Order: sequence, then structure tokens, then C-alpha cells
Amino acid sequence: MRQINVALVGNPNTGKTSVFNSLTGLNQKVGNYPGITVEKKEGVCKLSRMLKAHILDLPGTYSLNASSLDEDVAIKLLLNKNDKDYPDVVVVVSDIENLKRNLLLFTQIKDLGLPTILAINMADRMEKKGIRIDIEALEAKLNTKIALVSARKNLGFDKLKELISNYKMLSTESCCEITHIDSAYFENLEKAYPNQNIYKLWLIINNDVNFGDLNRNPIENKTQDFTPKSKSELKHLQQKEVIARYLFINKSLKATLTKDINAAKGLRASLDRLLIHKFWGYFIFALILLLIFQAIYNWSAFPMDLIDLGFANLSELTKQHLPDGQFTRLIAEGIIPGIGGIVIFVPQIALLFLFISLLEESGYMSRVVFLTDRIMKKFGLSGKSIVPLVSGTACAIPAVMASRNIENWKERLITILVIPFTTCSARLPVYLIIISLVIPDENLLGFLNYQGLVLFFLYFLGFGMALFSAWLLHLIMKNSKKTYFVIEMPDYKLPIFKNVVITVVDKTKSFVFGAGKIILAISIILWVLASYGPNEKFSKAEQIVNEEITAENLTLSAEEVNTKIASHKLRYSYIGYMGKAIEPVVQPLGYDWKIGIAVITSFAAREVFVGTLATIYSVGSENEETIKQRMSKEVNPVIGGKLFNFASGISLLLFYAFAMQCMSTLAVVKRETNTWKWPILQLVIMSAFAYVVSLIAFQLLK
Amino acid sequence: MEFQEVLVWITFLAAISFLLKKFFFKKKKNTKICGQDECGC
Amino acid sequence: MSIADLKSGQKAIITDISALTIPLKLLEMGCLPGSEVEVIKINKIKDPLYLNINETYLAIRLETARDILVTTLNTSDETN
Repeated sequence: MRQINVALVGNPNTGKTSVFNSLTGLNQKVGNYPGITVEKKEGVCKLSRMLKAHILDLPGTYSLNASSLDEDVAIKLLLNKNDKDYPDVVVVVSDIENLKRNLLLFTQIKDLGLPTILAINMADRMEKKGIRIDIEALEAKLNTKIALVSARKNLGFDKLKELISNYKMLSTESCCEITHIDSAYFENLEKAYPNQNIYKLWLIINNDVNFGDLNRNPIENKTQDFTPKSKSELKHLQQKEVIARYLFINKSLKATLTKDINAAKGLRASLDRLLIHKFWGYFIFALILLLIFQAIYNWSAFPMDLIDLGFANLSELTKQHLPDGQFTRLIAEGIIPGIGGIVIFVPQIALLFLFISLLEESGYMSRVVFLTDRIMKKFGLSGKSIVPLVSGTACAIPAVMASRNIENWKERLITILVIPFTTCSARLPVYLIIISLVIPDENLLGFLNYQGLVLFFLYFLGFGMALFSAWLLHLIMKNSKKTYFVIEMPDYKLPIFKNVVITVVDKTKSFVFGAGKIILAISIILWVLASYGPNEKFSKAEQIVNEEITAENLTLSAEEVNTKIASHKLRYSYIGYMGKAIEPVVQPLGYDWKIGIAVITSFAAREVFVGTLATIYSVGSENEETIKQRMSKEVNPVIGGKLFNFASGISLLLFYAFAMQCMSTLAVVKRETNTWKWPILQLVIMSAFAYVVSLIAFQLLK
Repeated sequence: MEFQEVLVWITFLAAISFLLKKFFFKKKKNTKICGQDECGC
Repeated sequence: MSIADLKSGQKAIITDISALTIPLKLLEMGCLPGSEVEVIKINKIKDPLYLNINETYLAIRLETARDILVTTLNTSDETN
């Protein structure tokens, strides 16, 4: 079967990803462009019995003038014939209402000499919006083929596939002449490179990108009478280019598109009036957040209990049915509880992503950006920081990358620096287990669950801290450039079920298989460290404990003797020695050495905390208690009483709320800021702050 | 050494080398991204 | 006068944009000389400014709005 490369390009908010999903179904994979953290989505679509298409969903961009890393990706691919993904045909996805603006990108790509199809999405809304297009006339003006599609209603895709299959019939001539904006300049360019596409040369000069034999300086130095343009001249010329293109587009649309301006503006206006209201807007936003956290807490309780119990039983079964030995114990006490510690959070993470993708898809997120810009500005942030900060509740890494569309460097840097304060999903496991141990499962006023409220407060605290530190940074850092802020306010849409499902499945899968592998590896290492010891105190534990019991004349049941032996062994295992070494540091915070170990291992990934405790506590335990039950039985070795009580619980919660405990985040901040300075500052300041706050909390509450 | 012991140590070494690879030798291929790939947070 | 001086619902034509301070992105989104612009002041929110430029809805900060010069279309009852 023959395969062709298809690139999907389009403005943000045009439903490009929905079109991609409709074409490829679940036949897609998400990866990265090598070396940079821009998401690369690709999929396969069968066009006919003989032909299939490899479809690449390029990051959304308004034009081919790169102003961000994401846009750079699109340009580099379209200019580089040697790239293995270089498209045979480009599909520009536009939505029906912003056709004019979308055509800017279309004309640019067409001018590169690529076969370019225009797919107009959301065609099902045409009638409602009072829009009429003369497709044939527009096809003639743009010198291309047009497909009207609707990802929502799944219409028009046969036509689109047919156009893609017959891409060789498409004209590759440019449709919009721009060289008149500076005729002399372009003539010179043409003289120097008679065989090159003139627009391509212009883009290379503009974007300062290098492609093997073609890069900026040789282009400009090739002829004597060629005077390179200064930066501001280039910028001015770029503006002229945009204006020239719009002139062409306006002319083309004038004869082909009619729009009844009064049709269906009602929904936008009335929803906006409510959702960006000075009071109700914020109120509704807070309400939505509260709803999300209550839902995460309440809806996931049942499946989580099931998973918890299931893994405890599995562990027990393994022990009964496999031959007795160290490896069987590793599986039953190390690996199975380790995997259980990951799987148990699937319901919650899926729910969180469900809500985030619903907010994005519906167009509500832009209203939140609008609503919050005024406030965020005062903290040295941009309204656009709200998206990274809210995505930070999923994971700090995509959040740091989401900050890329903030135009101003200072606002962007501050956003990146404070993101780790927001409560990422990795903290959720830690919060959940500690909250369930130290906060009563009762209701306030009959319907607000205390545990849910504490969780909400923790999210609030993370967010508040992010704002506060942003404000501090804003005061400290000097402002060099004038800030600007542009955000599109898309139409309200009902989210497309398929898109939401794909997002949720994608993100949950990557949590389980990504973070999961690390957790599993750490569980194995911990189990080994806890099951072996350096000296005789470990290997002769039974003997020593029995001697102690005889010496002190104690009468104990067999089970009590076993527990005593197990805890003696743990104390003198490798991990016991390591834990004891750090105990003086964590004791003032109300933790014992086991928690200390868990805090340290969670620097690999926060949720490792739970798995670590599960592993440490299950070593040597004979019955099928769940992790939670085991934790609630722990006794504080210094001051007595339950180890996980209100004071130590709050202290732990606060520590996890503030500490910078994620190696991957540090790595991504380094990459995005291009220096180690910022991640190291983050690590030191946040961890020190977390320590001090937890210390104060525990000492006050104990 | 018992057969099961050998298995334990093999697994242990595999786990350690996985983590080392993950955090210290990933410079060449910078393909880590959260939400898609292995991100440990 | 600039966009920042427009009243809610008032329509105007963009006459000039200050080339050095206005980001190219804004132009690409359709904010260019000759475009019709309408200011939508929902609930009297002034900053950011909610605009309808050629049926593209976008929001910009007040300080950017000051750099976009306009002449009004409907001068009947809403002139300053």
C-alpha cells in the first residue's frame, strides 16, 4: 500500500484537532519533535484500498511568521524538503466564521508551492450563522479545492479524503502576489536564486531559520546590489505583507461569501454577560473549581476502594500460590503494592482531565483568561497565565510548556517559576491518603464533605502561594519590554465527546505508563533495601528479638512476636540505616524515619510517597491489610500516640504543597529558560520554604 | 545462592539501571514531555 | 482618537497603527488599517478591551489599544 504525507495546519480554535481525530480515529500517537518539547501528533488514515495517509497535526498558528516555538515547528517542516514528514499535500483547516483570518495562513502556504486543500470546518453551523459561500467561485479565486466538513456531525470527510487522494491534480501555483510590497528587493532575491520559490526565500530571511544549503546570510550576500534589510525594516515589510494578503482575501471573499451579521449572536452575548461579569464571573469560576474538586473526591471513592482491596487480595493470592522464596516476596510485597499505588489514582486523574478538557473545548477557558488578566497583571502575570496555572493542576510539565503563548518574557518567566506551587495531580495521591487519615469523614452543614473542603483548600493554598510569589518576583525583577496581550475569544461550543474521550485516555495512559514505570522501579529498589541488611543485627533478628523477650520476661502471642521481629529487621535493614541518618532532620516536622524516606524518594515523583510507604510497611506484614489501615496503626516513636495525627498530617500536607519535588519539572524549566539558574533557585527556595512552614505548623499544632 | 535470590538481584539491578538511564543519560534524546511520555510528576 | 476612547457598541475604522509597538500577531488576526472595529464593553469592563474586528473576537489590554488609531463610523449620538 502506498503512503502519502499529509500535514494539517490551521489557526488555534478552528477545530483542527477534531478534524484530525475524525480522520484518524484512535489510530494516532502523540510524541515529540526531537530536541524540543512541542507535542507531535500523528496518525494514519486509510484513503482507499491502495492508498493511506500519514497525517501530521501541526501546532496551531496564525501565520508563517514564527513568534513562538510551536509555530516554528510548522514553518520548519513546510520549508524543509528533506524532512521525512515533508508533506505531499497540506490541508489548511479553517472554521466557517473566521474564514477571512484563516485564509491568511492559507495564502502563505499556497505561496510556498505546495498542493494545498482548504477544509472549512463547522460547516453545520453555516445556516445558523447566516453564512453562504459560493464554493466554486472561491475555489477559482484561491486556485485550489475546498472541502466543507463538520467534525461534530462527521460530515464531508469522504470528500476531504477524496481530495487528499487526488492531490496531484491540485495547482501548485501561488494565489496571492506579494512581491509588489518592495519590488526592487524581491527582484534582487529572484535574480540571486532563479530556481527558488521567492516566498520561501523571504520566509527564510524573516524567520532566520537555516536549512542546510539555504540560509540567511549567503542569500543576502550573493549579489552586490543586494542591500540586506534591518530588523525594523523587515518588521515593517512583514506588516506590509500581511496587509497585502488581507487585501487579496477581502477581494476574494467579497464576491463569494455573504453573511447575515444579525444572525445568532445571542448566545455569545448573553453567556458573556454572565461569565465575564465583575462579580458573577468570578463566582461561577470558583463554583466550577469547587465542583471539580468535590467530584474528584466523591465520585472516585468507590472505584478507589475496589482497586485498593483488589490489589491487597492479589498480593495475598500470590503468596499462597507461588513457591515460597525471596522473589515471591518481592512480587507480593514490592511489585504488586507498587503497581496498586499507581492504578488507584486512575479514577481521579481521569476525572481531572475530563473537566480540564471540557473547559477548554467549550470556549470557557478564554473567558477565564479575559476575566483574570486584570488581576493577574497586578501580580506580574498575564491572563494567559491562568491556563498554565490551571493545567498545573494536572502536571507542571505541560503547564510550563503551555506558558509559551505568553508574549512577554517577564510575565512568562514568572509564570514558569510559580507553576510548581499549583497542586499537580501527583500531589493528589499524597493529599488523599493523608487527608483520609487525619481529617474526619463528616459533612459540614450536611452536604459539604470536610475532606473535600480540605482538598479544595489545599488547591487554593497552592494557587494563592503561586500568586504571592509571582507578586514578589514582579517587585524584584526589572521590566525591560512593554507588555502586550492578545487573546482570541472563540465561540461557545458544546464539547465534542470524541475529543474529550481521546484527551482523557491519552493523559491517563501516559500517567500510568510514564510515571508508573518510575514508581515501579523505586518500589523494587526500596523493597530490596528494606529486605536486606548490612550486618548481623539484621540477619539474626529472630534470635536477638527472642533473646530480648526472654530477658525481659514478656509473654507475647505469636503474632506480636512476628511484628516485633519485622520492625526490628526493618530498623536494621539498609533502608533503616538510611532513614535513621536523616531522622534528625525530619523529626521536628513530626515525621518518623519511614516518612523521611518516603519524602526523599518522592523527589523522583511525588506520588512515589504512597508507594514507598506501602512498600516499607508491607515488608514482613503477614495479613492483607490495606495501605491505609497499616498507616493509621503507626505509632510516633518519640512522642507516642498515632504517627499520622492532625499535627503531623497538616505538616506533611503543607510540605507537599510547597516543596519543589519533581526532577522532571526541573528539567523542563531548564529547557524552557535555557539556564540552570532558574530551576536551581526554584528547588532551593521552595524546599526551604516548605520545611520552615511545616516546622512551624507541627510545632504549633502538636 | 538460591534461584529466587538471583531473580531478586537481577530485578533490583534492572530497576536501578532504568532509573539511572531515566535521570542521567537522557541528554542525547530529549524526548521527555509530560502527558505524553515518561514524566515523573 | 484610539480604540481606547471608543464607547461600548461604537463602531470605527482603524486608520493607523503604531508600527513599532503593535505586535505582528495582532495584524495577523485582522487588526489592520481599514478594518472595522467594534468595542464590546460587557459589564463596563474596560481592561482588557473586548473587541470585534471583522467578526473576529479578541481581547487586548488598554495600553495596546491606545496605539491603534481609529475614526468613528456612527457619529450620531455618541461623539465625545
